[in-house]
Amino acid sequence: MNSLYTYLFIAALLFSLGIFGVFQRRSLIGMLIAIELMLNAASINFMAFNRFLAPDPIVGQIYALFIMGIAAAEAAIALSIIVAVFRRLRSINIERAQELRG
Amino acid sequence: MTSSWFQDPTLLAAMLGALLPFVSFVLIMVFTRPYPKVSAAISVASISVSLVCAIFLLSSHWHLEHPIQYAGKWLISGEMYIPFGFLLDELSLLMLTIVAVISFLVQVYSLGYMAGDPGFARYYAFQSLFAWAMMTMSIAPTMLQFYIFWELVGLASYLLIGFYYEKFSASEAGKKAFVMTRAGDIAFFLGLLLVLLNFGNLNVLDMNSVDVTARMSPGLITLSALLVFGGVIGKSAQFPLITWLPDAMEGPTPVSALLHSATMVAAGVYMFARIFPFYSNSASAMAVFLAIGTITMLLASTMAMVTRDIKQVWAYSTVSQLGFMVMGLAAGSYFAGVFHLTTHAGFKALLFLCSGVFIHEYETNDMFEMGRQGGRGLKIPMVCMTIAAAALSGIPFLSGYFSKEAIMGALANMHNPIWLVAGLLGAFLTAYYSFRLIFIILFPSKIEKVHHAEHGGHASGHGHDAHHHAGLYWVMAWPLIILATVTVVLGFFQTPLENFLVGGHHGSGHGGGHHAWLPWVAVGLAVSGIGLAFLEFGRKGASQVGFVERVEPVRALFAERWYMDHFYRLFLDYVIYGIFSNLFTRNDRRVIDGGIDGICRATVGGGWLLSFLQSGMLQYNLMVMFAVLALVALYFFF
Amino acid sequence: MEFANFPFLSAILLSCVVGLLVILFIPEDRKMLIKWVSLIFSGITMVLSIYLFFAYDKSQGGLQFVEKVLWVESMGIYYFNAADGFNLPMLLLTGIVLFTGTLTMWELENRVKEFFALTFLLVAGVFGVFMSMDLFFIFVWYDVSLFPMYPLIAIWGSTRKEYGAMKLTLYLLAGSALILPGIIYLFVNSGLNTFDVVALMQPGTFTPFQQKFAFILLYLGFGILAGVWPFHTWSPVGHVAAPTSVSMIHAGVLMKLGAFGVLRVAIFLCPEGWQYWAQLMAVLATCGIVYGAFVGLAQTDLKYVIGYSSVSHMGIVGLGLATVTVDGLNGAVFQMFAHGVMTALLFSSVGYIYDRTHTKMIPELGGLSRTMPIASGYFILAALAGIGVPCLASFWAELLVFISAFKTYPIRGALAIFALVVGALFMLRVVQRTFYGEKNEKFAHIPDVPFGLGIPRMILVAVIVLFGLFPSVMLDVIQVASIPFISGLP
Repeated sequence: MNSLYTYLFIAALLFSLGIFGVFQRRSLIGMLIAIELMLNAASINFMAFNRFLAPDPIVGQIYALFIMGIAAAEAAIALSIIVAVFRRLRSINIERAQELRG
Repeated sequence: MTSSWFQDPTLLAAMLGALLPFVSFVLIMVFTRPYPKVSAAISVASISVSLVCAIFLLSSHWHLEHPIQYAGKWLISGEMYIPFGFLLDELSLLMLTIVAVISFLVQVYSLGYMAGDPGFARYYAFQSLFAWAMMTMSIAPTMLQFYIFWELVGLASYLLIGFYYEKFSASEAGKKAFVMTRAGDIAFFLGLLLVLLNFGNLNVLDMNSVDVTARMSPGLITLSALLVFGGVIGKSAQFPLITWLPDAMEGPTPVSALLHSATMVAAGVYMFARIFPFYSNSASAMAVFLAIGTITMLLASTMAMVTRDIKQVWAYSTVSQLGFMVMGLAAGSYFAGVFHLTTHAGFKALLFLCSGVFIHEYETNDMFEMGRQGGRGLKIPMVCMTIAAAALSGIPFLSGYFSKEAIMGALANMHNPIWLVAGLLGAFLTAYYSFRLIFIILFPSKIEKVHHAEHGGHASGHGHDAHHHAGLYWVMAWPLIILATVTVVLGFFQTPLENFLVGGHHGSGHGGGHHAWLPWVAVGLAVSGIGLAFLEFGRKGASQVGFVERVEPVRALFAERWYMDHFYRLFLDYVIYGIFSNLFTRNDRRVIDGGIDGICRATVGGGWLLSFLQSGMLQYNLMVMFAVLALVALYFFF
Repeated sequence: MEFANFPFLSAILLSCVVGLLVILFIPEDRKMLIKWVSLIFSGITMVLSIYLFFAYDKSQGGLQFVEKVLWVESMGIYYFNAADGFNLPMLLLTGIVLFTGTLTMWELENRVKEFFALTFLLVAGVFGVFMSMDLFFIFVWYDVSLFPMYPLIAIWGSTRKEYGAMKLTLYLLAGSALILPGIIYLFVNSGLNTFDVVALMQPGTFTPFQQKFAFILLYLGFGILAGVWPFHTWSPVGHVAAPTSVSMIHAGVLMKLGAFGVLRVAIFLCPEGWQYWAQLMAVLATCGIVYGAFVGLAQTDLKYVIGYSSVSHMGIVGLGLATVTVDGLNGAVFQMFAHGVMTALLFSSVGYIYDRTHTKMIPELGGLSRTMPIASGYFILAALAGIGVPCLASFWAELLVFISAFKTYPIRGALAIFALVVGALFMLRVVQRTFYGEKNEKFAHIPDVPFGLGIPRMILVAVIVLFGLFPSVMLDVIQVASIPFISGLP
């Protein structure tokens, strides 16, 4: 069980869940969480490849750390956007944010 | 021009004579337009110099051996060389003199006639333009230069006919004159192009030489001769482009005098004479010209028989006399046509100038009205007009008699007697309508005479006016007297003129007077025409209703100019405006613009349709993005 | 001559650009100063262009005043200006129209700075196209001259100005969209890696098929700007919408840009394509001549009438180009010049009338000759020039074109000549309805053209009359280019 494919499978599952969440959730918070899922899936992949394939043990982990940092920054910006959207629309439902409709 | 142009008196005179009026035109238009007196002085001075030059040229070249030609470069394009120059031969010298004399007299006369008109300076500017165009045209060495100044003559008459531009009918008449003559000129131009392309040269002397027959096929010559004759039809108001000329009476009367005697309409006949040998290369074309001349002459005579407008009568008579000239030329007698052109210039100018005095005095164009108001009281104009009318009718020993006899002689030489019969009929009608007018003014009918007596006091008022304008009256009277003298005397110069003109043209035979009976018949017919006019209009208690006017449909037909104008109007309204103009405009709006706007709308509509994709649903966009990326990935990996 | 090496052509361009820059640095509200500055700079360009016209050595011929600097070596782009018999009349025309147009707009009060700045930009582009001998620069200058038209019409125009401006811009950009592929096609297929027109026009550079293909692209592309039927409908609308001096530049110069482009690019580079498509060109040109005259007959707006007369007259240019003869080329180039001056005069007269009466509908006008004889006089003279009265400039051009057209295409030539009658009819009709007739009380208080505003019109009249009386001054210059060009044809 302790093979590369297990981890890759889990990561793919997580990523798919994230994609599904982004497409399906109408709440901006929900979409943000789904994006976090996708990022974590990417982190798992990095770690798994690092563990099983790469001779140099550092690189993958550094990338995972980077992704965490980016996720934190992204969450901060996204949340502030969401707050701004909420102030304007009194809602965080994505269907309400349609001002650019053609 | 050669460098020694100032040493050659002939060239100097030709240049001065032909170009000074243009200088005067420019000077007046640019500088002296606000000063009527100065403008008139400039114009009259320049035409006087031209007159002196023309007479000098004529007298110094009375025994001309060879035509004198000067030419300088005007324009060179590729292999085409367009010169500007002067051709002095018998015909052009004669024409130059006629134009200068008549223009001079008309300008002097206008000093009186146009006095006080707000457009006085403009009038003289246009007169100068007219004189310049006509004189330079007369001595043009090539047909292209001829055509150019021919067009300018048309322009000048457009400006002068429409001189009283505030009157709708005047501006309409000017436009009509320009457009109708333009229609003829197009044919003229096409004919010239045909000659240019096939003969390679438009030099007058070359076109008149026998080379033409060698270089062009007979069919081509006939075609180009017919086309070039289109110009004559337009300018000289021949059938079917008659109707602009009577309308052109809307211009000031001196302009009519100029237009009808020596310039605009004479230009057409002059052009016929100018390249007469070229025309005579084609017998069939000449037959067509003869027919056109005859039809014109008869049609115009009939129209002149019913009108009440004094100027209209002379206008129709001009058309009919031009028809006579064309007949004479087309019958092969170069001299007869040119001689009639010369004499006609004199007496027709006289007729118009006399009428001008009447119109100026009574401020009406209606001859009955003039008679009623005592027209015969104006002695000098009345006498002069009677002389001129007699000359027009061909009464012996006046100038018109000699020239008309020459034409009749030429017609009598034709195989087909119908032309002679038509000519004699025309002579009869001419005498009838001219003296109809004279008798109407001279002997107003009885009832109207009472009218006249009542207006005695009024008439003396006119006398007072006349006295007041005595100076002006005499300015107007002197040209009349000079022209009347010319009319009386000119006929006796037939032989010298003939020697002068035909001396160099032995080839073109002239109709000799081999028919001793002919003058008697012609004169007899003229006298009987006058007699008929006297019976109907002159004698005491005459009804003053012509025999034609008794039959209403005929009168209407004649008065409406055989409905030619109606035809043109309909043609213009329905074909030009109704079909072409309308159709093309609609095509522009609907089809072309519609098509373009349609493309634009389709673009906008397409954008609108595509904009539905921009639903604003972020998640759909994301889904599409993901799908596309997935497809791209699939494409690259597999 | 000590001036021999002075870059006159660049000086013309530079005076436009410097004029533009100087105007940009003048404060918005110093209106008189802006006008004087534009007058001075446009005066400099006019003097320079007149000097060039007369300084050109006709006995030597060929390209003179050459300025050639390599700009981008890898693509063979040169900054290459030169004067020959074809573009000298055009430079002269542009100089005259710019100067007179500036004077005509002397009364402008609305956004003066932007107006003159854009005008200079436009004219810089026009000069650039006329003097450049490098395809790349021709295209760049061409688009530079198109761009300012939109704001110039949309801001200062009248009568459906947004529609007119938009239509014009779209049409002309569509033209550019045809020209650019044509130029690139030629560049790629020449194999010489150069945009230099002189190098590209060597015989044998392009195969006959390439010439035919490129010619039709370039002809249609430039032809749109030249008002070739049936791509003409932008021009009347655009003329009507544009303000006076822009109409003058637009009809007087910009339409010539298209015809000149056809000559300089399409005909110079693809002479075999030219001969191949000449039949089609003649058909379209004849259609334009006849069609323009008839449509003009039905118009009620003064500016529309002039617009359609332009279509008709530009048809004459097209017909001249289509004949493939020396006379035809001479006539076409002369007609470009003559028509430019004539329309400029027409538009400036109408502009004066419109500014005063606030209408250009013919039925509402009438009797203007009594109130403003001088303004009417200018219009009537220009109209007479338009209907081909001899001794005015356009007569000679039409004469040459018609002679050569009649020689090459008898039927089409005759049809075009017949259109002259219709042309005369519609011009005289306009003159009659607008200027003749009873004095119009509505406009009785309007003053006639004052002396200052009369100057530009007088200059135009003088040009028309002088070149009408002495056509050889112009033709001798044009011939220097056209005779060798035609005789060098394969």
